[in-house]
Amino acid sequence: MMPEWVDGRTIMFAMLAGLAGATAIGVVAFGNAVRSALCLVLNFFTLALLYFTLDAEMLGVTQVIVYTGAIMVLFLFVIMLLNLGSPAALEEKPDYIKKALGFIFGGALFGVVASQVVLPFVETRQAFAPERYGAPQGMGKALFTTYVWPFEMASILLVIGIVGSILLAKRKV
Amino acid sequence: MEATKNLIWLVLFLPLVGSLIQALLGGRIVKQLGPQKGKWLMGLLAVAPIAISFVIGAFITLQLTNAEPADRHTVVTLFNWIDFTSIRIPFETVIDPLSMTMVLIITGIGALIHLYATGYMAEEKEYTRFFTYLNLFVAAMLILVLGNNLAMLFVGWEGVGVCSYLLIGFWYKDIANAKAANKAFIVNRIGDLGLTLGIFLLVTLMLTSKAGHVGSDNRWLSYDVLLSLDPSLTGAAQALGNNPGVAFAIAMLFFVGACGKSAQFPLYIWLPDAMAGPTPVSALIHAATMVTSGVFLLNRMNLLFQMSPAASAIVAIVGAFTAVFAALIAFGQMDIKKVLAYSTVSQLGLMFVGCGSGYFWAGMFHVTTHAFFKALLFLGSGAVIHAMAHNQDMRNYGGLFKYIKITSICMIIGWLTISGVWPMSGWFSKGAIIDGAIAQPYSVYGEANLGQLAGYIGLVGAFLTAIYMTRMTYLTFFNKEERWRLIEPHHQAHETHEHAHHEAHDHGPDEHGFFLTEAPPEEHAHHHELDREHTPREVPISMWVPLVVLAACSLFAGIIMNRATEIPGVSEHQHVSAFQNWLYPQGLSQWTRLPEVPHEAPFGLSGHWFMVAISVAAVAGGLLGGILWYRQIHKNRLPVNEGWDTGGWNPWRRRAMNQFGYDSAMVSSAVEGGDQLATALWKKIDVGVIDRTVNGLGRFAGGIGKVFAFFQGGYVRGYALMMLAGVALLLGYIAFKMKEREAPPMEHVEISRRVASL
Amino acid sequence: METGVPLGGYLAVGLMMFIVGVIGVVIRRNPIVIFMCIELMLNAVNLTLLAFAKYGPVNQGADPTQTAMAGQMMVIFVMAVAAAEVAVGLGIIMAIYRLRHNIDVDEMSVLRG
Repeated sequence: MMPEWVDGRTIMFAMLAGLAGATAIGVVAFGNAVRSALCLVLNFFTLALLYFTLDAEMLGVTQVIVYTGAIMVLFLFVIMLLNLGSPAALEEKPDYIKKALGFIFGGALFGVVASQVVLPFVETRQAFAPERYGAPQGMGKALFTTYVWPFEMASILLVIGIVGSILLAKRKV
Repeated sequence: MEATKNLIWLVLFLPLVGSLIQALLGGRIVKQLGPQKGKWLMGLLAVAPIAISFVIGAFITLQLTNAEPADRHTVVTLFNWIDFTSIRIPFETVIDPLSMTMVLIITGIGALIHLYATGYMAEEKEYTRFFTYLNLFVAAMLILVLGNNLAMLFVGWEGVGVCSYLLIGFWYKDIANAKAANKAFIVNRIGDLGLTLGIFLLVTLMLTSKAGHVGSDNRWLSYDVLLSLDPSLTGAAQALGNNPGVAFAIAMLFFVGACGKSAQFPLYIWLPDAMAGPTPVSALIHAATMVTSGVFLLNRMNLLFQMSPAASAIVAIVGAFTAVFAALIAFGQMDIKKVLAYSTVSQLGLMFVGCGSGYFWAGMFHVTTHAFFKALLFLGSGAVIHAMAHNQDMRNYGGLFKYIKITSICMIIGWLTISGVWPMSGWFSKGAIIDGAIAQPYSVYGEANLGQLAGYIGLVGAFLTAIYMTRMTYLTFFNKEERWRLIEPHHQAHETHEHAHHEAHDHGPDEHGFFLTEAPPEEHAHHHELDREHTPREVPISMWVPLVVLAACSLFAGIIMNRATEIPGVSEHQHVSAFQNWLYPQGLSQWTRLPEVPHEAPFGLSGHWFMVAISVAAVAGGLLGGILWYRQIHKNRLPVNEGWDTGGWNPWRRRAMNQFGYDSAMVSSAVEGGDQLATALWKKIDVGVIDRTVNGLGRFAGGIGKVFAFFQGGYVRGYALMMLAGVALLLGYIAFKMKEREAPPMEHVEISRRVASL
Repeated sequence: METGVPLGGYLAVGLMMFIVGVIGVVIRRNPIVIFMCIELMLNAVNLTLLAFAKYGPVNQGADPTQTAMAGQMMVIFVMAVAAAEVAVGLGIIMAIYRLRHNIDVDEMSVLRG
């Protein structure tokens, strides 16, 4: 007999969660950068779907546009521009000590956070947010009223980022 | 008085301006006008400021004498030099009998010496450099005596020290002169250290005793406040009276300062060496100015010494010892200037006896008369040296009287004056000191009346003075034999009297190019070696006029300054001379004066006649003994006892020649001891402690750096790993802490509060 | 008993992605992959933020709408910063590659102590 909380939403979530985890591991595990990038695209896409399950439609759409649309294209462009040629150029020599330490401390961190933060919320199913809280209207209103200063700061940051990347990327005249 | 008081700045600044003119324009003017005219003009410009200062000083002094005794004190302020809440030190001068007396001595005798120097230094190439220093010296001395606070006194004190260094080392290319200058400067520094510490201690005392805070006037380094007995002012008298130990310490520190400048026993060693300088410098430093500044300091700070009888007793005893010690050394000297130098030390000792016995005015009196007759003797000796081709050894003199009559007569007056023959000035001033010292219960330490003892010792010093001055006079001017005739001409017999030429030259043969080759012919003729073809000549007029003036002063100053004055209401027993009444007016309880210490004649005798008797006995005994002795043994040849070969000397005289080994012991202990101390400091402290500490610190930092450098491998991923480890450990620690607090099962609403309470 | 996906599930997914990103940053030597891992971590945090925005605890008296909006705004700003960071970071990688024709991060260890 299935427990009573197993319903369509839970199954959907489980599938998306599994996919997100698998693609995340794929990003790290693949030796080839292009494969990693494709895994990341998949991961971001899965995340967008997870956002939808959280009723954050606006952000889900933004996730697809910004990450899978813009940032990942940027990654792929860079990989191609670098034109690393033979896979040997990107072949990595094994570094066992760092790998071992990384896994140990990563696992430790996982254990700590899981036990302290995740476990207390395992049974939390009550949503506090109002219906349709992720709708574009409400977000736009908040963005241009309460959060207008951070928004402007973010725009300045982006401009600086653009100028900086142009300066870095252009060839010396 | 009020109207003319600002003229004092003219007195102070004219020598300074003169010095600047000499320094900045002198060389150019001499070059422009040629050596003869240029030197004439620069000589005039050197003498004029001092002479004008003297005239103005005399004018102000005249006004001061016309004023009532209580009004003879004016402070003239130019500007605020140092200004704090707790203390204000203005640039100010004081016009009172003491400072004006010193001003007249400095400018009057200074002007005469300047005049003399224009003749004496005529051959000099760096003529204007000499007068730059000389004018600056007078200016510094004037700041010393005219300044109304201890800070200005200190400025003058140091300025005088620097100028004396420059002047003693004037012929600096001769290493001996440079060494003598260094010695004078270094020994003076010891005294200066004492003065500095004394001033600091005085300031500390004033601050801690709150004396510096009460009252309205915060100029409490100024004499009119510091030395005031007026309780409404912030004077030091009360604080000193409450702390007799501190008062003694301050007095002793000031005394160390005075010892350095006035060449008293532990620190006198610089003064004989200072003879390396040109003779006018010897006259200016030893007679008129620098050496008197110690006595001036004792007079100025007499409150301090009156507060501490023990310090006064020490002053008197040290002075008395110096008087006799230096007089004994003078017997062993053959260099005419050295004899005078030790006689100066001895006379200064007498002045300290006067000051230490509470007879401050007598000390100043002797300063004044000594300035006259010692300047006379020094300038006279300079004239003799000038006449004898710059040979200073008395063994080469003899029978000079018939060649240089004016100089000889002046020198004989000086001899009689310093010996203390009535009615010359030396009689009165020495008499005042010895009378005062013997007839007093003032500087008493326990049961011992040390001041009285000092007086008797001083009397012995006066006796010795009469003898050695007679010796000097007879060796130089009398005796039939003209001993320089024994010297073979230099080019013929090089080795005969080689030693004599070496040690006894004022500036010797012109090895260093200090002298002009285009000197006037008759001056040039003087400048050959002393040998049997030499004929002594009288000095030029610019040199003997000062001699005559000084001789006149030596003759008459004493009797004028010591004339009795009628003071109503003062008993006849007390010896009230005009000079005493001028410096410390009777019956006037003013800022500079404590209630009079009673002075009584000892032995219940009629004190005055007793004093006269013993003084006459000392002087007459000394003079007659000396005359008989040297007349007899010097009838013909220089006896073995005075001869070239010191081996034939009386062993005591040989020891006296070497200052009884004191000077060489001091110097060698200072040099070798300093060397050993420095080596020890270098090996133990510098290498062992400081270097090791510094190197250890460096190594420690390097070690720590290596430890941290291991983590700074430059590998980004390493840094990331460390960050990860840090985050994991930190969060783990926080979680552990939360568990430790026995948290109840977590409700998600609570979590923020929980985290906030961490 | 309510039904639906618990908050813990979302947090678990976010945590898992974050840890994978962390481990990737430590063990990979290709700077492009390292960047990807950083993006992974940022997105994991985004997911967590959104999960809290929906299920998150609300302090008494606070407006739930405001709280939910705060989480979403945070996510938006993280995205903006991530975009800028990626642009600049990839520019730096390009510059380094042009300079050294090698982008192994372990080769770039000049800045060591």
